[in-house]
Amino acid sequence: MGVLELDHVVKRFGEFTAVNDLSFSVPEGAIFGFLGGNGAGKTTSLRMVLDILRPTSGRIEVLGRAPGRENSNHLGFLPEERGLYARMTVLETIVYFAQLKGMTAHDGAAAARKLIDRFGLGEWTKSRIQKLSKGMQQKVQVAAAMVNAPRLLILDEPFSGLDPVNQSTLEEVVLDHAKTGATVVFSTHVMQHAERLSTRLVLLKRGVKVFEGTQEEARNALPNRLSLSSQSDPAGLPGVQASTRTGGDNGWDNWDVQLAPGASSSDLLQAATSRNFALRSFETRKPSLHDVFLHLVGDETTNRNGESK
Amino acid sequence: MRSALLVARREYRQIANTRGFWVILLLVPLVIAGTQIAGRFLRPPPSDAYAIIDGTGQLAAPIEHRLKLQDQRRTLSDLAGYAQRWSDGSALPDQPWARGQRYFSDGDVETFIDAGGKDAAIAALKGHLKPDAPKFDAGLPFYVRADLPAISADQTPEQLDAALKPLMEKDIVTPSGKLPLTLVVVIPRDFGLIGPPVRMWTNGRPNQSLIETVRGELTRALKDKAIAQSGLPADVFKRINAVNAPVALTVPPAGAGRSGVLVRSTLPLALVYLLLVTVMVTGGLMLQGVIEERSNKLLESLLSTMHARDLMYGKLLGLGAIGFTIILVWVGFALTAALSVQGVIADFIRPSLAALDQPWIVAAMIFYFVAGYLIISMLYLAIGALSNSLQDAQAYLMPVIFIIMLPTMFMMFSIVQNPDGLLPHVMSWIPLYTPFAMLGRMGSGVPLLEVLGTGVMLAAFLALELFLLGRLFQSSLLQTGQPPALMGLIKRMSGKTKEA
Repeated sequence: MGVLELDHVVKRFGEFTAVNDLSFSVPEGAIFGFLGGNGAGKTTSLRMVLDILRPTSGRIEVLGRAPGRENSNHLGFLPEERGLYARMTVLETIVYFAQLKGMTAHDGAAAARKLIDRFGLGEWTKSRIQKLSKGMQQKVQVAAAMVNAPRLLILDEPFSGLDPVNQSTLEEVVLDHAKTGATVVFSTHVMQHAERLSTRLVLLKRGVKVFEGTQEEARNALPNRLSLSSQSDPAGLPGVQASTRTGGDNGWDNWDVQLAPGASSSDLLQAATSRNFALRSFETRKPSLHDVFLHLVGDETTNRNGESK
Repeated sequence: MRSALLVARREYRQIANTRGFWVILLLVPLVIAGTQIAGRFLRPPPSDAYAIIDGTGQLAAPIEHRLKLQDQRRTLSDLAGYAQRWSDGSALPDQPWARGQRYFSDGDVETFIDAGGKDAAIAALKGHLKPDAPKFDAGLPFYVRADLPAISADQTPEQLDAALKPLMEKDIVTPSGKLPLTLVVVIPRDFGLIGPPVRMWTNGRPNQSLIETVRGELTRALKDKAIAQSGLPADVFKRINAVNAPVALTVPPAGAGRSGVLVRSTLPLALVYLLLVTVMVTGGLMLQGVIEERSNKLLESLLSTMHARDLMYGKLLGLGAIGFTIILVWVGFALTAALSVQGVIADFIRPSLAALDQPWIVAAMIFYFVAGYLIISMLYLAIGALSNSLQDAQAYLMPVIFIIMLPTMFMMFSIVQNPDGLLPHVMSWIPLYTPFAMLGRMGSGVPLLEVLGTGVMLAAFLALELFLLGRLFQSSLLQTGQPPALMGLIKRMSGKTKEA
């Protein structure tokens, strides 16, 4: 039984189907990547989990219950679009959200101070939000989401707007929180974060699930690729689906080789040896999550940093 | 419910921490205090000094007596008002001041003076006053006679001009302290029908009443002389001179008559005004708050922890508490001023409290006030939920303010003119205006049945408004894009939004 279960969930806005027959399960203690390009239905799905939106059909279970505010004491949520009350102080803001999640003001303040220190905001504790930089404001909002030490922490695009140092800090915070036994669900379209954090992931494309599983399973879903250097085209070797010359010198050519589904690089190496097919170099290239994303989401483009547009 | 209370507390604290709130809160107390203070400073000088240089040696005394009568008439009138307001209801002695404020003839004033004047009256009032009655303040006399020993009626006009000029330019010493010398009258030794005129000098601010009184006495002296010279017996002339047109002056008892109705309507009308002002001010704050939450993208965080309806109730509660804080401070200050301070405002407010003579009237006024507050606040809240910016909000707000303010202002004016007029009656049964119309009419007496009928109607309207605008609020919070037109609003209120 997962901490979060979606079962054939559909969400329509008029004629537009935002989420179509979505089913997945998030096991307890997982760091679950919820991936997809813009407009894939990630935010809509998370809003349904939080009971901000109601599904058109299907069933959702959060911590063993239907979505509702009864769960909010055990949930933490960082929305994609962020904002805080400009005139409240850092401490007041976090304590306010702690109280909204059922904590007492005293407990909320104690937890808030720990998180404020953790995020390096100690000297800003009593500063008004409007005096903080955007990055600091985001940290305050993450702290507000985590102040109740939630069993299920939901982060919608948590890394957007943070500089690399703060992205790294947030990754550490997520990993530390997961070590306490909590479950983390985060959406992103930056694959490097998903690669470093997620133990399981779901990939959405235009409201439809195109993959669910571990990173290893995701990579295995793609044909293996390898780079080799030989004196002739490796296209004739068994298991090679396609080969492309990428350069060469002194009679040796460099090749980018794509293996057929099910074929392994070790079988190819063995076949080359038995056929006296001369090799100067042989390097297996495991597909990255970015490759998986490109392969499965297909026509959604990504930039060179791995962010989809 | 806990979430709504937390929202309410946050809203209250946020508003209470703004400078604007304190400016609004202190506005009425400052106006009241300012009016009291200004009333003291702007009051004309209490007394004027005058001097009579009487060459005849016979005319100064009757003029002085006439002026004394004028002063004593004012004192008698004030005493009558004082006795009427502060007497404990026990039987008062048979004196002119014990019969309430009215016109006092010379005879009344003479009687008052002969009986010992103000001091005797105050002594007689002892034991008949309420425990909290303030001390009677008779004020200073209107006119104080000054002596100018250096001036003589025998001096030439040029000498008089030269001698009086410096005296008229500054205050002079009198038995009542330093006062401006308002008038100097020089009566020539051979004053008569034929002969030099009486000369008067003023300091540039002629006191018409003083001049008229002096002139009247001088004329009377001349008439006496002329009658005496005509051979008419003195007693006949006295009888003729004593004839006065008989006048019966009717003054309604305290709290009755048109002025009484207006006085009783003061508090209700003030409440209508307070309702309008506070609901517009706090409504504006509420609007800004919702727009801030929408534009700051705060709502999703909030809605993950509470229902939209809790957010709405919390806001209504918090901003309502702000509104009531303002009202409490304003009304508290006004009542304190009315009950413990003497002055213009106090005199205005104190009698108007008579409108609250029955407990059900107080309860009804509180109900109409709260209902009116909620009805208008909900409109502001819904507009805030629909708008992405204050500019968006203006498009909805202007017509709403127009629709509420204009008829209400007309109605308040109509109540002042005629509390039983058609407009206040009709508006009492239009729910949007019911709180204003009924509050405004409370001072002139409204049948209990009408209060109950409009109360039930208002409660039903409020419930319907909370339901429909609550739906609009909830369905609009996370919507983006252009605010909807009328059909879009109706769809959202009916629950038929795009969402499947």
